[in-house]
Amino acid sequence: MSKDSVELDFFGMEKKNSSKSQIQKFLDRRRSFRDLQGAISKMNPELIKSVITSGLANPPSQDQIESNKAASLPSSPKETQSLFPALPILTPAARAASENGPETAPLTIFFNGTVSVFNVPRDKAENILKLAVEGISKNVESMDSKVATPSSDQQQQILETLDGDLPIARRKSLQRFLEKRKERLTCASPYSYGC
Amino acid sequence: MEERRTAPFNTGMPDAVLKCVLPYLDGPRDRASISLVCRRWYELDSASRKHITIAFCYTTTADRLGRRFPAVESLKVKGKPRAAMYDLIPDDWGGYVRPWVQEVAANLDRLRWLHFRRMIVRDSDLEVLARSRGGVLRALKLDKCSGFSTDGLFHIGSMCRELRTLCLEESSIVELDGQWLHEIAMNNSILETLNFYRTDLVQVSFEDLERIARNCCNLTSVKISNCEILDLVGFFRAAAVLEEFCGGSFNNEQSDRYNAVTFPPKLCRLGLGSHRMPSVFPFASLLNKLDLLYALLDTEDHCLLIQRCPNLEILETRTVIGDRGLEVLAQSCKKLKRLRIERGSGNVSVSHRGLTVLAQGCLALEYLAVYVSDITNASLESIGTYSKNLCDFRLALLDREETITDFPLDNGVRALLRGCEKLRRLALYLRPGVLTDVGLGYIGRYSPNVRWMFLGYVGSSDTGLFEFSKGCPSLQKLEMMGCCFSERALAHAALQLPSLRYLWVQGYQTSSQSSDDLLAMARPCRNIELIPARRVITTDQVEEAVVLEHPAQILAYCSLAGPRTDFPETVISLDPVL
Repeated sequence: MSKDSVELDFFGMEKKNSSKSQIQKFLDRRRSFRDLQGAISKMNPELIKSVITSGLANPPSQDQIESNKAASLPSSPKETQSLFPALPILTPAARAASENGPETAPLTIFFNGTVSVFNVPRDKAENILKLAVEGISKNVESMDSKVATPSSDQQQQILETLDGDLPIARRKSLQRFLEKRKERLTCASPYSYGC
Repeated sequence: MEERRTAPFNTGMPDAVLKCVLPYLDGPRDRASISLVCRRWYELDSASRKHITIAFCYTTTADRLGRRFPAVESLKVKGKPRAAMYDLIPDDWGGYVRPWVQEVAANLDRLRWLHFRRMIVRDSDLEVLARSRGGVLRALKLDKCSGFSTDGLFHIGSMCRELRTLCLEESSIVELDGQWLHEIAMNNSILETLNFYRTDLVQVSFEDLERIARNCCNLTSVKISNCEILDLVGFFRAAAVLEEFCGGSFNNEQSDRYNAVTFPPKLCRLGLGSHRMPSVFPFASLLNKLDLLYALLDTEDHCLLIQRCPNLEILETRTVIGDRGLEVLAQSCKKLKRLRIERGSGNVSVSHRGLTVLAQGCLALEYLAVYVSDITNASLESIGTYSKNLCDFRLALLDREETITDFPLDNGVRALLRGCEKLRRLALYLRPGVLTDVGLGYIGRYSPNVRWMFLGYVGSSDTGLFEFSKGCPSLQKLEMMGCCFSERALAHAALQLPSLRYLWVQGYQTSSQSSDDLLAMARPCRNIELIPARRVITTDQVEEAVVLEHPAQILAYCSLAGPRTDFPETVISLDPVL
């Protein structure tokens, strides 16, 4: 299975990667890919639609317009996902056209088990991502009303958990014991614990 | 002559003879083979089979069990996937005991021993069980179960007076009071095993424990939750034949009062949650099982204790034991059979250094489960060379170190698999790059007897899984996490592996064609279920919101019962008919 999607290095991780080990590069790449996937998977579908269409509505180059026109006449309308009925899906021909202009690049979005590829300029892509992150915090607030923390903190927390290491889960019973012990430690215990 | 015209299988083997022989054959595989010979032998086996384990409760139905094995005396049913022990499965996922309890109550007259593992139990189920079989039930184990309260246990306590074994270990129980134990204390005089270890039941009274110890002269194993040890002085004095004790807490500031606590003379299996090991030293040489998971010992304490336990066969502890503790273990505990090292929370860790020494010193090792911070090919080779009795090997690589000394581990894993010929269960939780596709292919090729595997972050592409699935002839149950494999590769593997009947996967490359690829593995009598990616918001100790991301999960299993009908919202059934 070959990966035919291109990752956009929004977080500037490629520069840092040169000195890192092979495994760390692998981890970072997977992490940023997962982050992107994870971030966008939380988006409101209506939000995605509106942002993409607004992004594509202001094409900076002639090539872009042409590629859009080519793509907006889908040869088999049934193939477009029901979630994005009005949006063009790039055909291979359109993608070739984009290689002329370095200002635009393919943006791949994995959403709910579907894949869509769009040609967007870099700044539009960054706007989309910002909206995605805001979209997450909105979703989280609406999900659990008991969680009464400001949205920026929530956002930060989510970004941190998305950025987390390989999740090695601990057995529930042991986890509870270690947490209780942490509590007791902070309550001035007379004994010194080696671990 | 006409009389000779009888079917070959029936000649010279009247039922009476077979009925004499059958009781000696109680292994499930032998019994399965017998039942396949002919219809008559199938019927004789059905009528005489005493023990059944239902490895996964949705593979069949309770009434099928009752129809085929009406005389069953001992039943074990398992529910939720193992991942439930690590909080990866929604609480309401399923695995209800109700249909099984109803079958027991209605039809299984001979049932005496009942064991439910990782299932959902309700108080009403316990009441039905107690009312119907309370007069004869000898053992009840609710092992890592949930959904019931002490009211349900009250029924057990008051009506199951023949109970020799009551085990509630690690179950989530709603505690309303301690009356259930009082009922046992008042009604039972033949209890041998009482276990509510790793539960949160704290309202139990030590007087009831003492009463049980006085009344039950065969009480050999007691594992409790947090009851103050100083209150148990009377209990220990009364429990004259006690061999196993785990639990209790040491909360008293005046530490010298604990010197007055004397343990029963035959005590040889022990688990304490304390740093007070000196009080154990006098009888440490008798110990054959030691549980230090909740003990507050550092590395040095471990060494001091372990070197006094030459008869130790089973040890459970945390990574605080360190490589140095493993060295002491290798020198002192030559009879060690089972070692489990859980992940602790401090800075001390276990690595290839300790494992190598351990393998060379403890040649009787049958079960080894360990969380390591670092591992090398050489140490895995040592295990392959020395641990010839190893049946169950589980290795998890912690993420504390950025890089590990020696990777990939392909050759070390191969050497281990080729050396440990008795290996039946294998778990490797690594990270990307540590076991390549070649290594994954080795696992396939060199694990002829392995029946269960748990693989985390292995391989680097679908090729690895293709190679893997060419081998593993005995693999029945496969669990995987953090896969880089596509749905198509997973489906292919599920079809290729000849013995596979249960597949659990969390974290894989979801395909663009929304589960069509997965359906390639669909077959009659095979269920496929999905738990889509979830976000769970919980609060942690300091009342802050914690967001946990759970990747999507696949569960595929052979079943005679058709798709489940008791799904929660979080689970989706993939039915090819739809």
